This record gives sequence, structure tokens and C-alpha cells, in this order.
Amino acid sequence: MKIRGKRSTEKIEPQMAPMIDVVFQLLIFFMLTLKIVEPEGDFTVNMPIGQSAAESDSPKPPVIKVRMKADENGEMYSMTIANKELFASAPGASQEEKSSNAFKRLNSEILNAIGSPGNPLAEDQEVELDPDYALNSKYLINAIGACRGRVQRVNGQARMIDYIKNIKFASPRPEEAGG
Amino acid sequence: MKFKKADVATAEIDMTPMIDIVFQLIAFFMVITNFEQTQADERVILPKDSLAMPPKVKREDELTINIGFERNLEGEKVDPQAYIFWPGEKIRLDGLEAKLRLEAQIYRDEGKEISEITVVIRADAEVPTGIVQGVIKLAQKDGIMFEKFAIKAQQSVEP
Repeated sequence: MKIRGKRSTEKIEPQMAPMIDVVFQLLIFFMLTLKIVEPEGDFTVNMPIGQSAAESDSPKPPVIKVRMKADENGEMYSMTIANKELFASAPGASQEEKSSNAFKRLNSEILNAIGSPGNPLAEDQEVELDPDYALNSKYLINAIGACRGRVQRVNGQARMIDYIKNIKFASPRPEEAGG
Repeated sequence: MKFKKADVATAEIDMTPMIDIVFQLIAFFMVITNFEQTQADERVILPKDSLAMPPKVKREDELTINIGFERNLEGEKVDPQAYIFWPGEKIRLDGLEAKLRLEAQIYRDEGKEISEITVVIRADAEVPTGIVQGVIKLAQKDGIMFEKFAIKAQQSVEP
């Protein structure tokens, strides 16, 4: 005798198709919205144009002035700190080497000016950057970096050593005046 | 008499491993997706500096201003004029003041302190510095009065 269906244990099959539909939709959404971005850092500019650091009772050390000059392509050809030229004449050196050396010199000049990193006197010290209008902004970033401090590597860990935090900009120069 | 063989043999695909993998993928993409940097404009090629570090404390409110050039697929400049890439349009420096005023007004209407909002400037490496300074100057004008500024750079790792 044949016994129909009823006795065999009924297997409840979950409906896979709708779930897979949704799951694939999600997968495709996240794949398409993925944007690979390298981590971005930034420099806070404490006192932008025309402002001065928070008033304090102690007399402020004189502002360190950094002047940067650009040629018509926006490349830097001269950088002076307190009228001292940092661009060494190195014939044959590429623009990149020259400017990178100048920023290294700026970095050590700043260290000279504040004595030692973390010096309490350096808290009030200000640097004023005075670039030509046409100067490419990458040089501005490098100059801010050179004034801000340096990176020290301890056991492969990068640590930042602060020099001067108060960086401000001079009033923008007129557009034509370059070189 | 029973005929077991009579059942039609349905070939069932085992879904379990596939779903395992697909869920793994979803979880991976969900974790890695970063919706916060959606304000960043991909036309802007940031300058690099080893000291540029992501802020230790996340800023609550920031207004991102992208300044850059129109570039072709090879990354070459198509137009020597630098533009400010405002959401949905590109404007020149002289058109920025009205936008900033509006933005400042919106923040005030929301009851936020303008002095607490950081203006983040993402300037292309080749943008003239004068434009960056000009943007800061505009954002400080009477009636706009932003006070905190930051300039973005890509973190470069020096050997």
C-alpha cells in the first residue's frame, strides 16, 4: 500500500531568492559608493589674515616674517626669513631639490628662533607668511609645515614635535605683482 | 510496494557558502565606505606634506571649500583659471562672498555659533596662494565672520 506524503517529515525550505536579491543589491550599492581616499591631514591656521594671537600680558616676541617670491609659473625662486635668503644658489639642482632644501633651512631657522621645541616662549611666537599671489599653494603648505614642527620617528612611530603653532598670513598681495 | 526512485531528483544548489561570502563582502564594503569625505572634490589634487595629520579631535561642524582646476583624464589642466567647486556649480572668487553669506546665515538660523565652525580649505597644489588668502579674507568679512580655518594637505610618509 502506498502512503501518500503526510507521513514523510515536511521540510520547510526558506525562500532564498528574495534574500539573495536584496543582498546583491546591497553589495552592489556598497561597491559602487566605495571611494578610495587616502587619509587627509590638515593644518589649522590659528590667526588668519589681519588678526593677532589672543591678548596676553607678557610682551610678545617680534613676529618672524617669511617672504616667498614666485615666478610667473607659480614656482618659488626666493624665500627669506627676516631678510635672510634661504634659497641657496646651487647650479644644476632641480627646482624641487632647491625648494626642499630651502624648507629644511627654514625649519632649522625656526628651531633656532625658538631655542628648543616646547619652549614656553615659543607659545607667543608668531610667524607671518607673506607669499606672492601666484605662488603655488603647495609651497605655502610646505612653509606652514616647516614652521609648525618636524616629525620624529621613534621605533617606527611618527611623532610630531611642535615648533610654532601661531601661523598667520599677511594680507594678500595684488595679482599682478609677481616676480 | 514502495518506489523510492520514482521521485524526480531535483538538483538543489547549496546556497550557504555563497551567502557566507556575499555577507562577508557586504560587511567589508560597509565598514570601508566613508561617507564623511563626500564633501571632498576629486578634481582637487592636494599638496603633500609630512606634517599634515588628521585632527586628533573630530571637528563637529565644518564647511569645506574646494579650490582646483578643471582637469582631463590624464590630470592635465584644461583651463588655467582656478575655480571654487561649490556643490553643483563652479564659481570664481568674486562669486564666493554671496555663497558664504548665505552659508553663514544658514548656520545662524540653525542656532550655531559661527565662531565654532571650521572652514576647511581644500586647495589644489597648483592653486595660486592669493586665491587661498582671498577665500580666508572673504570668510572673515563683516556679516560672515568665520574664525577657524584649516588647510588640507595629503599626509606624505617620508622614508
